[in-house]
Amino acid sequence: MGDGTEVVVRSDRISDEQVAKNELLGSVEVKDDDKEDEVFEEAIGSGNDEQEEDPKRELLETDDLPLEETRQSSKDENEVEDFEEAVGDLDETSSNEGGVKDLNVDYSVVGESHGAGEAGFDAVTPKMNGDTGEGGAGDSCGKVESRLDVVVNTEKGDTNGSNLAAEDVSIENGKTHSFLGNGIVSPKNIEVVAEVISKDDGIEEPWNDGVEVENWEERVDGVQTEQDVEDGEGTTKNLFEERTEEEVVNGAGTGKNLFENGSGSVCIDNESEAKTNGETGAAYTSDIETNASGDKSVNDSTEVASAETSSPLDKSSSGEKGETEGDSTCLKPEQQLASSLNSNPESTEIRSNSGSPGVTSRENETVRNSNGGHDVQQRPQPNKDLEKQQSSKVNVDPEIKENSHVETEAEVVSSVSPTESRSNPAALPPARPAGLGRASPLLEPASRAPQQSRVNGNGSHNQSQQAEDSTTAETDEHDETREKLQLIRVKFLRLAHRLGQTPHNVVVAQVLYRLGLAEQLRGRNGSRVGAFSFDRASAMAEQLEAAGQDPLDFSCTIMVLGKSGVGKSATINSIFDEVKFCTDAFQMGTKRVQDVEGLVQGIKVRVIDTPGLLPSWSDQAKNEKILNSVKAFIKKNPPDIVLYLDRLDMQSRDSGDMPLLRTISDVFGPSIWFNAIVGLTHAASVPPDGPNGTASSYDMFVTQRSHVIQQAIRQAAGDMRLMNPVSLVENHSACRTNRAGQRVLPNGQVWKPHLLLLSFASKILAEANALLKLQDNIPGRPFAARSKAPPLPFLLSSLLQSRPQPKLPEQQYGDEEDEDDLDESSDSDEESEYDQLPPFKSLTKAQMATLSKSQKKQYLDEMEYREKLLMKKQMKEERKRRKMFKKFAAEIKDLPDGFSENVEDESGGPASVPVPMPDLSLPASFDSDNPTHRYRYLDSSNQWLVRPVLETHGWDHDIGYEGVNAERLFVVKDKIPISVSGQVTKDKKDANVQLEMASSVKHGEGKSTSLGFDMQTVGKELAYTLRSETRFNNFRRNKAAAGLSVTLLGDSVSAGLKVEDKLIASKWFRMVMSGGAMASRGDLAYGGTLEAQLRDKDYPLGRFLTTLGLSVMDWHGDLAIGGNIQSQVPIGRSSNLIARANLNNRGAGQVSVRVNSSEQLQLAMVAIVPLFKKLLSYCYPQTQYGQ
Amino acid sequence: MGSLVREWVGFQQFPAATQEKLIEFFGKLKQKDMNSMTVLVLGKGGVGKSSTVNSLIGEQVVRVSPFQAEGLRPVMVSRTMGGFTINIIDTPGLVEAGYVNHQALELIKGFLVNRTIDVLLYVDRLDVYRVDELDKQVVKAITQTFGKEIWCKTLLVLTHAQFSPPDELSYETFSSKRSDSLLKTIRAGSKMRKQEFEDSAIAVVYAENSGRCSKNDKDEKALPNGEAWIPNLVKAITDVATNQRKAIHVDKKMVDGSYSDDKGKKLIPLIIGVQYLIVKMIQGAIRNDIKTSGKPL
Repeated sequence: MGDGTEVVVRSDRISDEQVAKNELLGSVEVKDDDKEDEVFEEAIGSGNDEQEEDPKRELLETDDLPLEETRQSSKDENEVEDFEEAVGDLDETSSNEGGVKDLNVDYSVVGESHGAGEAGFDAVTPKMNGDTGEGGAGDSCGKVESRLDVVVNTEKGDTNGSNLAAEDVSIENGKTHSFLGNGIVSPKNIEVVAEVISKDDGIEEPWNDGVEVENWEERVDGVQTEQDVEDGEGTTKNLFEERTEEEVVNGAGTGKNLFENGSGSVCIDNESEAKTNGETGAAYTSDIETNASGDKSVNDSTEVASAETSSPLDKSSSGEKGETEGDSTCLKPEQQLASSLNSNPESTEIRSNSGSPGVTSRENETVRNSNGGHDVQQRPQPNKDLEKQQSSKVNVDPEIKENSHVETEAEVVSSVSPTESRSNPAALPPARPAGLGRASPLLEPASRAPQQSRVNGNGSHNQSQQAEDSTTAETDEHDETREKLQLIRVKFLRLAHRLGQTPHNVVVAQVLYRLGLAEQLRGRNGSRVGAFSFDRASAMAEQLEAAGQDPLDFSCTIMVLGKSGVGKSATINSIFDEVKFCTDAFQMGTKRVQDVEGLVQGIKVRVIDTPGLLPSWSDQAKNEKILNSVKAFIKKNPPDIVLYLDRLDMQSRDSGDMPLLRTISDVFGPSIWFNAIVGLTHAASVPPDGPNGTASSYDMFVTQRSHVIQQAIRQAAGDMRLMNPVSLVENHSACRTNRAGQRVLPNGQVWKPHLLLLSFASKILAEANALLKLQDNIPGRPFAARSKAPPLPFLLSSLLQSRPQPKLPEQQYGDEEDEDDLDESSDSDEESEYDQLPPFKSLTKAQMATLSKSQKKQYLDEMEYREKLLMKKQMKEERKRRKMFKKFAAEIKDLPDGFSENVEDESGGPASVPVPMPDLSLPASFDSDNPTHRYRYLDSSNQWLVRPVLETHGWDHDIGYEGVNAERLFVVKDKIPISVSGQVTKDKKDANVQLEMASSVKHGEGKSTSLGFDMQTVGKELAYTLRSETRFNNFRRNKAAAGLSVTLLGDSVSAGLKVEDKLIASKWFRMVMSGGAMASRGDLAYGGTLEAQLRDKDYPLGRFLTTLGLSVMDWHGDLAIGGNIQSQVPIGRSSNLIARANLNNRGAGQVSVRVNSSEQLQLAMVAIVPLFKKLLSYCYPQTQYGQ
Repeated sequence: MGSLVREWVGFQQFPAATQEKLIEFFGKLKQKDMNSMTVLVLGKGGVGKSSTVNSLIGEQVVRVSPFQAEGLRPVMVSRTMGGFTINIIDTPGLVEAGYVNHQALELIKGFLVNRTIDVLLYVDRLDVYRVDELDKQVVKAITQTFGKEIWCKTLLVLTHAQFSPPDELSYETFSSKRSDSLLKTIRAGSKMRKQEFEDSAIAVVYAENSGRCSKNDKDEKALPNGEAWIPNLVKAITDVATNQRKAIHVDKKMVDGSYSDDKGKKLIPLIIGVQYLIVKMIQGAIRNDIKTSGKPL
């Protein structure tokens, strides 16, 4: 039996993958839990559906029974015997019974599917009932196996007498299980269980499947099974104690949930089982454990089983276990992913899978119409189908493993990086290297025949058939992409072929898998899943390859980076198998960047060799120079992949490569690492001694070393998701070679094809991505950080802000003037008031001192009144003057030029001699020094106004310079003012730039349009805003404005619209309302503000002022309302009360009341309170600290 | 003195041939009235310092782990045998993240106060091809710490000696080239004059600490050229210990480093004098000004 051996191989693979999984981080586990829960929930739904259908199933069952019995003849005997033996032991019986029940349950569930399958397939293969059953199950599961496959299955079944195996397969499905159960169990059992079965539908989750399988196995193996299980447990526990435990807990929890959710009776069954026999319960739980623990435990158990049992049955069962467990794990990730908003491409893909089964099942006219629940159930099945094929073909397992494996990776990725969700669309590429990295650990001998692609291939194949049948609506475009994708697939297979890698190589399989996923993902967007089978592709590839080594339309550019002396040039020589670059052990061999092109196995490969980098910090400047030259070199022709080389036998535990890696990241950007492969040269070197002098294993050594480097790269790139694939390299001429003359590493790996394959895979995937335009990946820089959604609220609020339009210099104060026009009439009568007052002589201090209190008060009141009047008068005069001036200017315009010169002289502009500007008023501080002198500056005739920017709240408020502000007002054609102002601030953390340009044009009466351009830093990016606004001053008391703005932030453009209305109700009340919306990328934010101001009648003089502000912002359905009110009331002559309050709709608010006074000095005594308190706390420290 | 002096148990673990030779060497030392010897081991991280110490002692005295940095502080291992004591001081790696780890050097210095270093073993790997700036800096740092003289008491130990050199080079050529380049680095790093350097004549010893080291017919760990390396190393150590140069005594002064307090003490009165004169001059000038301008303000 060829199968037997293959099976063993399979299990080995599984174990490998387990190992790989072991490496995964703990965080994965947590996620697993989630998945399980979800799976269960959905399963529950399905269970209900099934329940309804039970009667039918039962019918089917009855029909099936005879078939099965015939089928199983030989096996039945075995099983029966086993069963009897099992009965002998209480434990076993109990466990078996549990198993039986489960089986029955499953059976009922399966019943329909089985029937459906039979309906479809009996005609095809009437002879083999078992096989048909399988086929039917498979079909019902939703993954339609191609008929060829079915046939194959039947054949194998015949030859091997692997009916059982076939059954086992069905068991995997959970539905087929029932068959076995029926066959094995006596009719009585079935009857007894019947009720249970009907109820148990819900239990059919992958989880239970696993359990059942194990029970089944127990039966088959008889006495051995228990041991197996235990062994499995033991190993799993040893390997992954934590994980298993956790998962067990989870599994138990989920199980309970299921039960609770499902039919009550079911719960009872399971629980009762558990309770009745202590040991059964244990066994049961142990099963759960193994299932929960996922592939590993399963694999372990499977391995053990396969090792011990030589019968095909056992193998098949073990295989099944592995598969089923694999499935369960698969399911979990899928579920999880799906639940996580499709964030992972894989998740979506998975969904598409699940969807497709549904379709197929429908087409098969299965009894069930696919419901949501149904789909859920089916998800496991795709894998199972594969498994079936595997069981027949023995190839299946690897696929499954890979599925689970890949998905877990995805999880790892996501779990590792919280940012994943954001960049999920982009996650496919990063995930890919990660996947390769997982797979790459050099461990896989090429002999493995995993066939991940199978999964896709079959699935897609079947789907394609059906799709062709059913869908006429598919777009041509879609076909085109599919065709192209197929071409890529063929290309890759050819590449693999030339490199002597079978499609079963882990890397190859994974790439194919990803291509399939990508295709399906794509297909989901359109109509149906893609229609190209792996088989066709491989056939095509073989054909093309057989036709002759015609040059392939593929070339790959590899750039080699690395420390000096690690063997970059030597590696290149090895790749081409000839001396392309001379190497010297002691000299810096490569002095400049150079590239070389050549054919490797008929594949065009271009390699860029770079000078060696130096590790020490002091040499980083040199490195930078080198890397910059590299950058210039690759500008035209960027490499597809970067190969970072280091020596395997250097134990750099002092993070000595960090400077170098950092420099690389700095020069090329961290994205360089996304497409990088780590190459470890000197791979044939002997691993160092372990801590106690014993030699460590080569694989351990490699793993550790690659981990160190990967970690370093992760740090250097600042991206913890990175998982660069590792490839080993050995350039030494004394390296062991195989018969073909290829260099072989101590672990049996032939490194060169592996390295090349990794590189090509990366390129191929990039191509596929580009083709499918998956996400917004730009092929050139596939890992550019995806731009975040622009901060719409921020943009909106800055849009809503009403800003003054730039004015011509002579109109600088126009705004107020306009407003004050309102009051003109009322002012007129007061005009001469000040002049009418009797003359007033101010007193000297000495005279003041002689006055009595009342006199003093009178005097001060009088003085204040006069001051007020004086100021009013002055203001009025000023206003008048300006008005005159304006008129004058208008007249002058009409006059010949000669006069205008005169006027200009008069108006004079800013002082021609630098004049000191008034001191800045600094906020009060407790500093002994008053540093205003630091900020003094001169106002020169220079049109540029340059001022320092002060940050008074900065940590060094003493010095306080945060930046520079420059302003200038230009006038174009004497009409159009353009104001330019820029501000640069910089502190330790970040630098901010703000540049504003604005200009305005008056057109028509009372209409003006302003156009502005802003540039400012938002976060780490620059936002460019172009806005324009038009004001209508048609009414005296109402001014309206409407504006538009476009902002470019990062690579996203947002556009906004606003309307503003300014209402001046009276001299003391005015109100500004504005509303607007901002849209970007389908995202919309609305906002509005309202500002009302109530102020003293003669505002600048009277200090009474109340402002009310309200703002509303709606974004993502998230409504933010905020309001604030501020009031300023003068109390007495020289005291002010300022109260401020704000509140938002989240309940956060602030109230502050401030009084300042210049006459009540005793107020300052308040400052003593905190001092006093502090002193008090010294006296009674215990009250303070509550010892 | 932190570490206890223990009987040298590991000595019995050596093959008989090695034991004989070692006893002979130690006998020679005793003849020169040296009853103890202190060996300091320095080098970059991960080159095999601790492994070398373990090999020398014949016991697993210092923990060695391939991927974790060894202890962060120096460790002294003392073994006595037949009245002769050998102290070996293992140290942390001198390189950290591309920098010379001055902190580690300080620690080592502090550890060595009031000890005398008879021999310095500067350890590096043989199977590395390039010498870079960092090596130079390490040498420089060592020179700054212990003075140039230390190099006269130095043995260059090249570990990982059992390897096959890259193509077209014979083992001998490779190793000599490698040691030459390292010696050149040492010279450059320590800024010794040529003559000085030739006088110091740093010897090069190869070592292979791996458990997979091949053995010669006497069951000694041997290099590819057939020599047993441990006796070789010990012989070289004794040679250096007994050469005419003075052993390096690390005292307080060396540890604290600078004589900054003493430097330029003599200048103090001079400066004060100059200051006095300048003040006088300025005062004179002021007076002069006042006189010529007539009235003080």
